[in-house]
Amino acid sequence: MIPQVVTPYYRSLALAILADVTLTVAWAFFSGPTRYLSLATGAFFGAGAYVTAVAGKGLAWPLPVVAAAVVGAVMALVVGALALRLRGPYFAVFTFGLAELTKHTLIWYETSVTGTVGRLILAPPAPLVLYYTVLVLTVLAVATSVLLRRSRWGYALVAIGADEERAATLSIDTTRVKVGAFALSAAFMAAVGAAMAPRWTYLDPQVFNPLVSFQAVIMALVGGASTVVGPIVGAVFLGLASEILLLRFRYVYMLALGLTLIVVVLALPSGLVGLAQRPPQAARGRPSGRPPEAAS
Amino acid sequence: MKLTLLVDVVGAGLMTGGIYALVALGLNLQYGLMRVLNVAHGEFLMVGAYLTYSLHTAWGVNPLLTLLVTGPAAFGAGLVLHRLLYARLVAASDSREALESRSLLLSFGLLFVLQNAALLLWSADLKGYSYLSTPFRVLGTVFPANRVVAACVALGLSVGFYLVLQRSLMGKAVRALMQEPEGAQLVGIDVNRLHGLCFGIGIAMSAVTGSLVSMLFELTPFIGLPYTVTALVVVILGGLGNVMGSLLGGLLLGLVETASVYLVASDVRIIASYAVLSLILILKPSGLFGR
Repeated sequence: MIPQVVTPYYRSLALAILADVTLTVAWAFFSGPTRYLSLATGAFFGAGAYVTAVAGKGLAWPLPVVAAAVVGAVMALVVGALALRLRGPYFAVFTFGLAELTKHTLIWYETSVTGTVGRLILAPPAPLVLYYTVLVLTVLAVATSVLLRRSRWGYALVAIGADEERAATLSIDTTRVKVGAFALSAAFMAAVGAAMAPRWTYLDPQVFNPLVSFQAVIMALVGGASTVVGPIVGAVFLGLASEILLLRFRYVYMLALGLTLIVVVLALPSGLVGLAQRPPQAARGRPSGRPPEAAS
Repeated sequence: MKLTLLVDVVGAGLMTGGIYALVALGLNLQYGLMRVLNVAHGEFLMVGAYLTYSLHTAWGVNPLLTLLVTGPAAFGAGLVLHRLLYARLVAASDSREALESRSLLLSFGLLFVLQNAALLLWSADLKGYSYLSTPFRVLGTVFPANRVVAACVALGLSVGFYLVLQRSLMGKAVRALMQEPEGAQLVGIDVNRLHGLCFGIGIAMSAVTGSLVSMLFELTPFIGLPYTVTALVVVILGGLGNVMGSLLGGLLLGLVETASVYLVASDVRIIASYAVLSLILILKPSGLFGR
């Protein structure tokens, strides 16, 4: 939290983890309570990064981040209106396909229309400025998550996750509630993308990385997606692991990530936080009631 | 000249389509029966392709004969995976919806594990060998013999499987389970055993397709996911759980893709398949041949 006194390595480690926390918390806004499994995180993140790359030259610093949030929200409104009629794996497949479609269309557009493969980000803000930008986003995301859970909107989302038809009968406007939450989470994801883009100085369509989408899901599930703390715990835990292992042992890390996902799905349906909260005698067998876990 | 081009496009399209039909059939078998959407499906294709590559380059085994290894090996792996992972998941999930999304996550985990295990074992470099690349002439156009052979084997296996499903008692049980899971249990069909069996067969189909693909293209550990996407497009095109739909959908997608590559450009191919996937999902989630 005091980035002036630590070395650049730890500052950039902290920055990456803050970004992971924000993405995961934002993913859980929507997918946590509603159990709609979104794999579009990478698409919104990438779109945000491209906003910085394209419009960053003309706008003073925090403005590209704000612009990216707007772009992300608008994208999510359009996509959400189309996709949220789909349930279960159809929705997950659709969001995944959409991210890949965006990436490949962008690759095609950049090579055949603009004649480039990537874009340079000239005159990036100072590292400290980036750090504080992401820190502000993290704080905002966590605050939003706390407020959302206590609001009528949050209860409506939980109701949709429990039984969408019943929620609709109880006069909840399910489409508006869902699309709104989807857009809110997309705005944060795009803002993080915009704030992280200057780190790379050179940006190409590979920033639409499906790994970003999966990491958000896995981090939230490892921590426990239906709580406020869960996504934060999961993101810090796996974020540290990924930053330390990803560069040196890339394949081993990814393999371990896959195994983690399998174990979490089979053995820990409510995540690490759920494990801590469960009463000791119930910890061995299956919990008797239906646990309020998300997207499981 | 015109006719040659037509034969060229249709021939190449049907050959690609035959391969697609077999992968898609495997995926559909898993989904139609268990409601398990296995996104690691293409990874088994990739592993099958590498197995054939290794057997052929290390011991000179005829690539076509390796099908007798990759198929049963993948079938066995499928049985084990079903027992270890999916049977538990089915038992622990209290609703079909919960099962669908949890099994989706599970298969994403499998995808990571298989792909990165392959990267560690075989590295990310392109691997390939040449087999039967002699020209084969039909109606004035030339196809490489290996593509013709691969497509014939793939189509033969697909049609053969379809016939088994229609004619045999086991096939009848499988179809019953697809149409009416609860009714099928009532008349004494052992659901758990059939699930395992079909999961194994589905994965074997993917691995066998991989053996065939390895004769045609160079391999990387990343070839799996595009095939999963293609298979998904075909399955959704033909309707989830609809076996004949997958067969026809595979051939259709092969034709459309080949035509778009001939008419537009080769880099549009992947955009086209994602676009078709998105459109079908939005417009007609039950598939082209769905009721």
